[in-house]
Amino acid sequence: MGVELDLFAAASAEGAWTVAEVTRRARAVVEGGMPPLWVRGEVSGMKVWHSGHWYFALRDGTAQLRCVMFAKDNRRIPAAPAEGMKVFAFGRPTVWEDKGEFRLTVLELLSTEAGGLWQVAFEKAKSALARDGLLSPDRKRALPSYAQRIAVITSPDAAALRDIVAVVTRRWPLAELVLLPTRVQGEGAVAELCAAFTRLGRMGDLDVVIVGRGGGSKEDLWAFNSVLVARAVAAAPVPVISAVGHETDITLCDLVADFRASTPSAAAAAATPNRDEVLDDLAHLGARLSRGLVSRVDRASERIGRTGDRLSSVMARRLERHRHQLATASGRLDALSPLKILERGYSLARDARGQVLRRMVQFPPGLAFRLRVSDGEVSARVPES
Amino acid sequence: MGNSPTFAQQIERLEDIVRRLESPDLDLDEALKLFEEGVEGLRVMRERLTNAEAKVNEALKTENLDE
Repeated sequence: MGVELDLFAAASAEGAWTVAEVTRRARAVVEGGMPPLWVRGEVSGMKVWHSGHWYFALRDGTAQLRCVMFAKDNRRIPAAPAEGMKVFAFGRPTVWEDKGEFRLTVLELLSTEAGGLWQVAFEKAKSALARDGLLSPDRKRALPSYAQRIAVITSPDAAALRDIVAVVTRRWPLAELVLLPTRVQGEGAVAELCAAFTRLGRMGDLDVVIVGRGGGSKEDLWAFNSVLVARAVAAAPVPVISAVGHETDITLCDLVADFRASTPSAAAAAATPNRDEVLDDLAHLGARLSRGLVSRVDRASERIGRTGDRLSSVMARRLERHRHQLATASGRLDALSPLKILERGYSLARDARGQVLRRMVQFPPGLAFRLRVSDGEVSARVPES
Repeated sequence: MGNSPTFAQQIERLEDIVRRLESPDLDLDEALKLFEEGVEGLRVMRERLTNAEAKVNEALKTENLDE
């Protein structure tokens, strides 16, 4: 504005300034005299307009400063500050000519309170998810014991992915890793993460999903605090393991996921069994298998043994009976034996043909015959008359 | 994938075989059959575990990113 400050001209009614001229002049003075600066104060009367612009005031004990933060600038801010919140605002002091209002066009806003605006946004989103039941422990699904296909949603060129691949390769090389590369921070990260989950739903045959990234600032991790991403995680068709940042960083994605791992490596370990342990398990099962069969066969042979024992004792008893019968019979036979009679002193005479000689007529004079006595035979002859 | 059993299915089957083999009322022929199946299963699983090499695939980009 090239208007000179001419007090004499303004002193008369003829030289009166128009409102527009004064406000334009005031704006020039303010903008020219006060470069962009940081202001600290408490937030009051925050209004979020449909356009996305924020209107509020900063105040301290004695004064108040009207502020506007346009949508293009406040988009990067996680949440509108709450009433009474202590903040630092960086902005350009100006005069809004339409309303003749002195105000600060805020370009950057930080909260000095614990957790700051991130915390405000986090709590707001968290309570929305809780309202929908997405944080309920009942929703948590069990992770697979022997995952075969593992989807990994993360940045394609970061340490997190290398760690996951290394751990899975070492622990459970049976697994197939399916990478869904996405940006994990900055512009587009939220949309890409959500798109990756949508694709997941169409892939099928997956056992588990790992989503995450390595450590970073709160701002770097912010995509994982997006309600959209949290809802995409909740809608995943298979269990989700979330590993965002370090142990101490807990994001909405972590809260909604079926399992939260402290690091990407820990996520990979949670997704897979350890091959060596599984080999041990197999050895154990193998031993039980053999023991099972051996005891089954033992039972069978015991039974055969028992049956055999019964069979042989039956046979033995039967044999004994026969033996007894035989002894009785042979005793009787013995008593009838002619030898027994011979033993008592009788003898038996037989001619040369073996015929038994019983009567006198059978002994003509001169007949040679044999005499059987108890222990042998004797040759004999009837004397010639 | 589909047709060949997953490792999870294989180990489940083996556990089932062991449980049945340990149950007292089992026909001897059946026990022998189960044992054979179990031993074969063990062999296949050990082979899978020792020969496996992790595969890393990048899911094909099928969508246009609208940015």
